[in-house]
Amino acid sequence: MNRRYLGILPLLALLATWQAAVSAELYPPVLLPSPLKVANAFVLYAPTIAANAGASVLRVIIGVGLAFITAVPAGLLIGRYQLLDEITDWSIQVFRSIPPIALIPLAMLFFGIGDTPAIVLIYVSALWPLLLNTIFGVRGIERTLLKVAASARASESLVLRDIILPAALPSIFTGLRLAIGGGWLTVVTAEMIAVKSGLGYMILNAQMTFRTELIFAGIIVIGIIGLLGDQSIRRLRKRACRWQEGLTVSEG
Amino acid sequence: MSAFIECIGVGKTYMAKQGAVEALRGINVRCDEGEFVCLLGLSGCGKSTLLQMIAGLELPTTGQIIVAGRELDGPSPATSIVFQDHGLFPWMNVLSNVAFNLKARGVAKADRVARAEEMLSLTGLSAFASRFPHELSGGMRQRVGIARALTTRPRALLMDEPFGALDAQTRGHLQTELLQIWSRQRTTVLFVTHSIDEAVFLADRILVFTPRPGQLAAEVVVDLPRPRVPGTPGFAEIAAGLRQALGSEGGSE
Repeated sequence: MNRRYLGILPLLALLATWQAAVSAELYPPVLLPSPLKVANAFVLYAPTIAANAGASVLRVIIGVGLAFITAVPAGLLIGRYQLLDEITDWSIQVFRSIPPIALIPLAMLFFGIGDTPAIVLIYVSALWPLLLNTIFGVRGIERTLLKVAASARASESLVLRDIILPAALPSIFTGLRLAIGGGWLTVVTAEMIAVKSGLGYMILNAQMTFRTELIFAGIIVIGIIGLLGDQSIRRLRKRACRWQEGLTVSEG
Repeated sequence: MSAFIECIGVGKTYMAKQGAVEALRGINVRCDEGEFVCLLGLSGCGKSTLLQMIAGLELPTTGQIIVAGRELDGPSPATSIVFQDHGLFPWMNVLSNVAFNLKARGVAKADRVARAEEMLSLTGLSAFASRFPHELSGGMRQRVGIARALTTRPRALLMDEPFGALDAQTRGHLQTELLQIWSRQRTTVLFVTHSIDEAVFLADRILVFTPRPGQLAAEVVVDLPRPRVPGTPGFAEIAAGLRQALGSEGGSE
């Protein structure tokens, strides 16, 4: 059997348990819809689900993208220059300890209701894992490589571009995975409070209108998109860091 | 005439947690152009530190180092260094690795590729230009390191235990190849090793270091004709003398 798809087994077991719980009428059907009813909801509400999923995904892409283009250069510089590290260390430790969700009330006060507060919150949640992992990646560089650059009298810009950046790349990808994961968690939460579209909003709305099958469908879509996002970053990392093969134990 | 590399009263003291550690004291070394000089000593005797300072990667605490007529304040363009752990960039293929030192000097791409290919052919690596370091054996990686060091036509090659991590057979091959490159390119070689046999096999002159603090204990001129054969009477005699100079702990191998 192909081991690649082994990961589906626990999910199938969960599905079977769900069906068993429905058959045993553990909860009233209006609370716990059957898998079939949820599958039907996917068909019935397909346009709604697609539109809201699209809105959520777009917000995450914009928020994480903005975080990426700020955190990666900043992290490369902080990792490279001890002085910058000493200046920023405390601030980073303070701000990264604040859960982005705690900032929702502030974000709504400053940016109202809509895309802006959601994107700001995603940005904040994606910034720290990207920044910290980039710094970590730069720190982990082999000392000899920097000596090679120094003895070749390479310019700072060449060192940053040809040595520091590629050396940190595997770690940057780890940061990106965490950032997308964190951004995805944040977007759903933010949409339940600060936005009137997206999967989070859709789920909350379904609750208020008592369509539990749509709540379940929404939750499933959130999970699947999370999985796809993670897989595509892994694949991207494998391609970009092919030189790493044989150097480290594969992270799969 | 002044020497090509000259160390005058060089000392190095590190600040460590336990206090100041004196790694080297009062080193006077002269090395003429074209010479093959080995720095021999047990680990911790400061021989690598001295090489790093001659490479301009560290500054001496006392004394001065003069390379190609100029007192060092950083790496000199007249020298190239080869490291024990080869220092190849794992994300660059062999050709890009070899061309890196020229890229750092702002040499145009076509020119640096041509020069890199020339050095690859000199070190027998032409077939591996597009490979990545992790696809190569230890001996081949070190060849790449040597090829890279040679691209800038250095007047001196500084080698920090370059063959220390290799198996005996590969090490033997590379020693012979290095002597060929040296005799063809006529560069000066300053070679750090802890192996007595390696020093006797390679060097015109051997500088013996003793530890705590690192000091120059003896200087031995090797006037055996090349290629030298370990185990022959002349070879063994010099090796025995070196073993004694290194002190009671004796050298490895």
